[in-house]
Amino acid sequence: MACGSTSLWAGETTWFCCGSSWGPCGSAGTGACGTCQSSANQAAWPNTTQACFDITRPDLCGEGIPRRGCGSVMNVRHQCSGAQVCVTISDCGPRTQSFCGEATCCNGVCRTNRVIDLTPAAFSAIGSLSSGRLPVYIYE
Amino acid sequence: MSNRQDSGGRSGLDRRRFLTTAALGGATIVGASALGGLDADAAFAAPGPSLDPAITASTFAEGRITARNGSVLEVAGSYGDRHLIQLTNATSVWKLRTTTADAIEVGDGLYARGVDMPDGTIAADALWVNIVNLFCTVRGIAKDRLHLAHGDGNHAVVGRIVPETTTASYLGGSLTPDLSRLRIGQSAQVLGAWRPADDSVDIARVTVGH
Repeated sequence: MACGSTSLWAGETTWFCCGSSWGPCGSAGTGACGTCQSSANQAAWPNTTQACFDITRPDLCGEGIPRRGCGSVMNVRHQCSGAQVCVTISDCGPRTQSFCGEATCCNGVCRTNRVIDLTPAAFSAIGSLSSGRLPVYIYE
Repeated sequence: MSNRQDSGGRSGLDRRRFLTTAALGGATIVGASALGGLDADAAFAAPGPSLDPAITASTFAEGRITARNGSVLEVAGSYGDRHLIQLTNATSVWKLRTTTADAIEVGDGLYARGVDMPDGTIAADALWVNIVNLFCTVRGIAKDRLHLAHGDGNHAVVGRIVPETTTASYLGGSLTPDLSRLRIGQSAQVLGAWRPADDSVDIARVTVGH
């Protein structure tokens, strides 16, 4: 499935590790979809299933995020730089409800709430891993 | 629905000339700032370039460093693959903080972003050495460390508080060296550098929510 250009959502993205890896990431496993790898351009979506949604609860932060299952493809674009990466949904996350109201800004424009989590490969394609969070637009 | 998508402008800068130079010029490669390798707050402040339409994606590698030969790092990937990472005078290196290539040690883990070179190496634009970004629960608080649990298995991790380095962000607020508002049971995002010697993590930033 190709990466599309239809607007889906916007918000913060963070990054996470999965699959075989080093250090504390070595115990992360391959995620809710069983396919997650840090070195692949993949992502976690907070509403892959009802069970996933029950954990992440983006609705508690006012985010009516639609359901998109494992294997869905999204285009994630850095709000400021325009850098973008095509990712495949491979896990459930981030835990949006734990950080309600958190904002990440650039050029005075902010995106609020964690709405997608990227693997290191995907996050580093559009920003710096040491930043931890980025404001993004999401297309499908 | 406040986060519904808005239109956003693209930068007029072009990566093509930098990446072309890297591909043709051996060890010369674009600096990290052009690919977004600056640290967070600086990177947020200024728009970076759009992706070069001629190069759909930068190359990524991850694994453990098994040897260093001058400016080339030999890296064993986590799936049995092998990478040769070429350091250049423009490679940005992060290891708990922005640092130099001298801080890189055999045994470290890394994530690398760069450009494939004709000789099979990856010319690195940015290296993040031992970097971790863990979603955790705070299980204990001591003067010099946090006891953390992360992942579905609640794996225990010791997070070391590094004087003059560790900062906290509360409810998305600005960074502060004041850690006194951390509480046991809080959800926390811990960005830091893994220590291979004892499997602990030096904390660069701990972000807590509610």
